[in-house]
Amino acid sequence: MLALQLAINGILLGGLYVLLAQSLNLIFGVMGVVNLAHGGFIVVAGLFTYWFTIRSGVSPLVVLPMAFIAMGAIGALVQRFLIEPLMRFGSRAELLSLMITFGLSYLLVDLALQLWGADFVSVPYLQSSWTVAGLAFNQALVIAGIFAAFISAALYAWLNLTLSGKALLAASQSPVGAICCGIDVGRVRLVAFALGVGLAAAAGVLVIIVTPLAPETADDFTLLAFVIIALGGLGNYLGVAAAALVLGLVQSAAGYFLGGSVEYILPYVLLLGVMMLRPQRFRRAAS
Amino acid sequence: MNDIAAVPALTVDGLVCGIGPLTILQGVSLAVQAREVVVVLGANGAGKTALLRTIAGLITPRAGSIRLFGEAITGWPAHRIARAGIGHVPSGRELFPRLTVADHLELGGRFCTPARRAELRRRLFEMFPVLAERAAQRAGTLSGGEQQMVAIARALMTDPRVLLLDEPSTGLAPKIVLALFQTFPELRRQGVSILLAEQSLSLGLSAADRGYVIDHGRIVLAGTAAELAADKRVADTYLGR
Amino acid sequence: MSAWEGFLRQARAARIWSRLGGTSDVVVAAAALVALLLVPLTATAYGLQLATDILAAVALAYGWNLISGFTGYLSFGQVSFYGLGAYATALLVSRTPVPWYGAVLLGGILGAAVALLLGPIMLRLRGILFALGMLGLARILGIIFNNWNFAGASLGLSLPAALTPLAVYGGMALVAAAAFACNAFFVHSGFGLDAMSLNEDEAAAVAFGVPATRVKVIAFVLSAIFPALVGGLVAWNRSYIDPTSAFKPSLDLETVVFVLFGGIGTLWGPLFGAAVLMVIGEELLVYLPNFELALFGGVVILTVLVLPGGLVGLANRFGWLRRPLVLAPAALPEGAPPAPRAMPAGDVPVLEVRGLTVRFGGLVALSNVSLTLRRGEIVSIIGANGAGKTTLFNTITGFITPSVGRICYLGRDVTRLPTFRRARLGMARSFQIPRLMRSLTVWENVVLASRHGGQAHRAVAHTAWVLRITGLAALWREPASRLSPGHQRQLELARVLALHPALVLLDEVMAGMTREEREGVRNVIRHLPEFGVAAVACVEHVIAAVADLSDRMVVLDFGHEIAAGPPQSVLRDPAVVRAYLGEPL
Repeated sequence: MLALQLAINGILLGGLYVLLAQSLNLIFGVMGVVNLAHGGFIVVAGLFTYWFTIRSGVSPLVVLPMAFIAMGAIGALVQRFLIEPLMRFGSRAELLSLMITFGLSYLLVDLALQLWGADFVSVPYLQSSWTVAGLAFNQALVIAGIFAAFISAALYAWLNLTLSGKALLAASQSPVGAICCGIDVGRVRLVAFALGVGLAAAAGVLVIIVTPLAPETADDFTLLAFVIIALGGLGNYLGVAAAALVLGLVQSAAGYFLGGSVEYILPYVLLLGVMMLRPQRFRRAAS
Repeated sequence: MNDIAAVPALTVDGLVCGIGPLTILQGVSLAVQAREVVVVLGANGAGKTALLRTIAGLITPRAGSIRLFGEAITGWPAHRIARAGIGHVPSGRELFPRLTVADHLELGGRFCTPARRAELRRRLFEMFPVLAERAAQRAGTLSGGEQQMVAIARALMTDPRVLLLDEPSTGLAPKIVLALFQTFPELRRQGVSILLAEQSLSLGLSAADRGYVIDHGRIVLAGTAAELAADKRVADTYLGR
Repeated sequence: MSAWEGFLRQARAARIWSRLGGTSDVVVAAAALVALLLVPLTATAYGLQLATDILAAVALAYGWNLISGFTGYLSFGQVSFYGLGAYATALLVSRTPVPWYGAVLLGGILGAAVALLLGPIMLRLRGILFALGMLGLARILGIIFNNWNFAGASLGLSLPAALTPLAVYGGMALVAAAAFACNAFFVHSGFGLDAMSLNEDEAAAVAFGVPATRVKVIAFVLSAIFPALVGGLVAWNRSYIDPTSAFKPSLDLETVVFVLFGGIGTLWGPLFGAAVLMVIGEELLVYLPNFELALFGGVVILTVLVLPGGLVGLANRFGWLRRPLVLAPAALPEGAPPAPRAMPAGDVPVLEVRGLTVRFGGLVALSNVSLTLRRGEIVSIIGANGAGKTTLFNTITGFITPSVGRICYLGRDVTRLPTFRRARLGMARSFQIPRLMRSLTVWENVVLASRHGGQAHRAVAHTAWVLRITGLAALWREPASRLSPGHQRQLELARVLALHPALVLLDEVMAGMTREEREGVRNVIRHLPEFGVAAVACVEHVIAAVADLSDRMVVLDFGHEIAAGPPQSVLRDPAVVRAYLGEPL
């Protein structure tokens, strides 16, 4: 019984994690850009949701499309003015984008601090639980998990079933080949980044329904997303989804049996563990 | 040329390009007439690939002009040149390893009307039956020869008027390359002009009507395939004597 | 000689004080020294605290520069060492009779120990993952200490009576000076040159004998000591530490900003960046409190976009504060030809490759290839594009591990030996496309190899000799990025000779050359035995250029050897003609 409860919580949490990771995977996979500001976008979107729902009484799910579009637009601007100019540096672009997104993440965190303060806040939406067959389902977690999974599935479908989505995959697998097909690879990068940021915002809206957020947690989300990608395989959408679910399950169990601190620390330990035990995943390809 | 009224499919005039302090093309001029097959021969590093990549727009020329059926396309972004009718099969093929053969064809034909796309696909499956068999297979799992076919098919799906083939014989057995070249007459019939860069002398001359020999970024010899085949100087520049 | 001995020898050779670059360097150093001495005499209590904070920032910046500036491995978690040093000091002082300076030093040693433990694992990864790993480490440590009751958990620890502010200032000044000295060592020594070469092109550096992992780990360990020491001193200064302040994420942000703004990977960058931004920050924060993070984040973004070289980069454009040439004498000496390499007795072949098979996933790049090079032989390897020639060289030199087969060099099985060791044993290769260290000068490109090769004990003289015989003497101070293509190839060849090799592997060295240039290279190849080279293998497309030069010719086709023997008979072999030049039609 307990096991089932933990398992379901874990899967729902995993659903949320899938969105967290896939939004970053899109940027990292297509552009090779490490977006250290990923968590910053999540937190800003989440805190904005808090502020907006408190003020207007509107359901956070209504905020979701708003946040997606608004942050997506901001993402496009960031890509156009901060990231794209780095492409001319060739091999150094990777590290420079690391630096610039590092700086950006602090800009976002400070913005959040200024606008909404340093405290942990959460959206009091769907506070109760449903009880079905003796199992308690936290309503917020169910809604958030299902929405997140749905959005991730939609992303996957778009990427693999539509021509425009495949164009994006093509551009990430071979930019020259994509150009030969007439694909505007520069625009693909813009779209990928904007979409990635928009989806991160969507994740932020869903996360704050489930758990409190504060500006200081931005880095935690960035790291969490990277851990999941590292475990699931860069650019491997199904692998990342699987890794996200597994992590959700493991965290759910660890959180119950070993306490909050362990649950919190788990992703980092996993990251360092994978780095040490399976470095082949990360080895630079022989040039 | 004889017929002044016929606009060449592709004209390159005084093309200069380079990377940093290095100048790779030092003023190259050539022409490909409609429905012609022209080969560019030369040793490794002579500039064949640079020439094709510059025409395709992947390298921005520093000087000179490129015209497609008389229309200037110099300096256009590469994807725009691809859409304008120059199909490029790059050296190294540049396939999408995790996408299927069918995906490659779909992506190549992205900017065609669905009807035209279907027509092109039908023709390609006729020309390369292997592709039909392996339509659902991921490109990364195909053999070298099959991959080359996919690369060419993808370029042909863009419905090009000029096809740029960059060293298609790389890593392929000559038998397969010859089979590939046997599709040229059909392509010419369909109105495609071909500019072929080849390292292998005999393979290159076997497929072409005319040829140019490039050495250190300059055209040093030109003529019909027969003329070049008989010219001893070709082998000299080629083998670096 | 062990790594440590080598390191010490380098430290002595650097002779820092006698090699202080140009006038601008001396001026800056003097100004810094004056400021350092004036502050305790003239400043107010507030001023002294600010100066201490600036010195802390300088020390942290120099520490970060060691790993992230020189080797290019960006670390976003140096605060891990800072926190460890702070806690080690606090715990030692509050529970043991260790005096304060002992506690701080032990904290520094702890930081170094942790870096030594984690370094070898994490530094083999891509730069991004290293950065993430360090970020993760900082979080983990923060959480651990937050829950560790022995260390006071979230409430932290109080330290007994604080030191006088002057003592803290003095201590911080010493740490900052030590960190500066470390950076100066890097800038002037061969070790630092190794680090910079790794940053530029690790594969090429390794091919010329640079022990990549070792250099990175040493740099990392050194970079860990200084934040740990600073952490210990700051704990003293504040008389109190807790997890939030000990592992605060903004520390790394500030450090990164300072070094980036000042000039990453330079000698004076960290000093400028830290001093200037700390002062500006202090002033601005009066008007804009709480905007610290946004300000620094903004500075990072602007610096990357507008001024990636930082303040020092800007100064360089005016000819100031240029980096001095490493290990370079004032004028190029004559140099003398080296004594021949000691060779094993008997008729041991220089290179013996047996049954080499290389597979990439499903693709077989090389299939059962065997090759023997005896002393005095020049062998050329030809074949069409994709035949496996470069793969063969990459496997012989150690960039690729074969699935099957053995490689014996001078009688020794080197199949599993890392590339840099093969280079040190005298196996030198040139690259198909020259992989020069573009940010380094001609001299430095060559001395990098000399240092690791057979003439390492007289590297400077050997480098000078190599530059003279390859005709690059006049260009010895030029940055490699400004060389003409012909000179670039000469430099590539010079690096090969600098290793004082017994076996030379030339990968398409004649490509794209004019007839005169080719003749020059042919001459060098003919004279290689005089330089102690026992055997030469050339991969070539320009067959005619090597046909009369080689004793034997080997032809590869689709990873198989299809012919071998004297060039004239090989070139007439119908199988070869068919495979290489195409079917005669």
